[in-house]
Amino acid sequence: MVDDTDIRDWFRREVLPLERQLTHFIRHNWRVEEDVMDLMHDVYELAITGARKGLPAATRPYLFVIARNHLINRAKRARIVSFELVADLELIENERGGFDQERYLNAREALRRAQDGLAKLTPRVRQIVQLRKIDGLNVQETADLLGIGSDAVRQQTSIGMRKLADHMLGGTRKAAPRPQALARRDGGGET
Amino acid sequence: MSRAEQAGIEAADWLIAHEDGELSAAEQARFEAWMAASEGNKAAYWRLECAWEAADRVRALGPGAAMPEQKFDDASSRRWRIPSMIAASLALLAAAWMLVPKLPALAPGHADASQVTAASFATSVGMKQLVELVDGSRIQLNTQSAARAQISPQRREVWVEKGEVFFDVAHRRGQPFVVHAGDRQITVLGTKFSVRRHGDKVVVSVLEGRVRVDELKDNRLLRSSVIVGGKIAMAQGPATLVTERSDEKVADALSWRSGMLTFDQMPLPAIAAEFNRYNVRKLVLAGQSIESVEISGTFPSDQPDAFARLLRDAYGFDVEEAAGEIRVSN
Repeated sequence: MVDDTDIRDWFRREVLPLERQLTHFIRHNWRVEEDVMDLMHDVYELAITGARKGLPAATRPYLFVIARNHLINRAKRARIVSFELVADLELIENERGGFDQERYLNAREALRRAQDGLAKLTPRVRQIVQLRKIDGLNVQETADLLGIGSDAVRQQTSIGMRKLADHMLGGTRKAAPRPQALARRDGGGET
Repeated sequence: MSRAEQAGIEAADWLIAHEDGELSAAEQARFEAWMAASEGNKAAYWRLECAWEAADRVRALGPGAAMPEQKFDDASSRRWRIPSMIAASLALLAAAWMLVPKLPALAPGHADASQVTAASFATSVGMKQLVELVDGSRIQLNTQSAARAQISPQRREVWVEKGEVFFDVAHRRGQPFVVHAGDRQITVLGTKFSVRRHGDKVVVSVLEGRVRVDELKDNRLLRSSVIVGGKIAMAQGPATLVTERSDEKVADALSWRSGMLTFDQMPLPAIAAEFNRYNVRKLVLAGQSIESVEISGTFPSDQPDAFARLLRDAYGFDVEEAAGEIRVSN
């Protein structure tokens, strides 16, 4: 039984960098967009459960086999399985080799993603994340400064945290078309 | 709500709770139970934790970098600049007879902003002035200082034009207290601190609580640092130096409020300069070796002559007292 400390290190070091590819793979093979985040969540859960018996020697094939099997199982249950889907899955897996450079972000790239992610938040959420991250204010201080309740700060921080994670790790929902320039300039919007 | 979303929300709540400080024993137990409930919860928590830590990198950019469209609205301060300059000069005239230690609340405000009150204050050499602002905050001007304040229901602002001002800020929700000193902007959350300005050099000494010192250029935030109680930040141009935690140093730096100057191994020229801030009659040092003498102690700020006599008695320096200056030589 592998303990939490080792699992956590492995998960952060080996699994999370694959999130962008994993969601791409799931999205490519699953027609219902709303299921993508849940499927990714399932794959993580299965991957951790499996790793309890011993950390896999090679994380990428391990993760994608889990993802493929999970998609097939879900498809069977949903009675929408077809040979095409299974064949597609095999094909996609063989093509995975070429993406290695995406796996480990250098510091500059990580910073750029964090910055981009921040820029995509609504002005209000972004302001709160900045007060927390850059100015080092805690929940109460942020609430006092902005004149809002601490629950509101927690809620907005939660939104910012999850959106940033989605953006930085790549497990984003497929972005709905949004009026970028206008949306940014509006200001003051709540999420 | 999807399972992934639910787990994500719960994970974020726990992460925020952890950032807020130590969990109580009961909370910790609940957290552990939640983590143990499913590997999915762990995945959600570790995932957010990892990304949230990585987001710390934005700190390197400083504020403003991530939001190019953000500009600090300085319209209000521009609007006030000219009236307050007039007010400041009036206040300077007034300072001559302002021997009353405490002034009542702010003067009436500008005509087209009924909610806003604004006023200027200034002290001449050797003067100190304690002012109570309408919001209950108190500011104390040290010698040769000028400041103006503008209080609206949304925002409380003070501009330190020159010299040194001590702030005891009343805690007000949703009404931030911001101090401007040259290209530095200090944001306060209910605290006691002083701002000393000499040209473009700004020194912030924090007695209690926490303030944020922002460096501004053309109204944009460049960098900022958080100063906690017991620390002193010295800022000039692009540099901001935050000294090590030293409650004693801060207390020394603020001893002027009780009419005393406190020095800890400070060279004589610096001490003379400090006395000269408070007195028309200047301390003048003559001779090479005299400049390397370092002195510790607490002295009344308005008695440079007593200090000079002490130098004569303790160090054997010659002291010549004239009308405009006190000359110390060896």
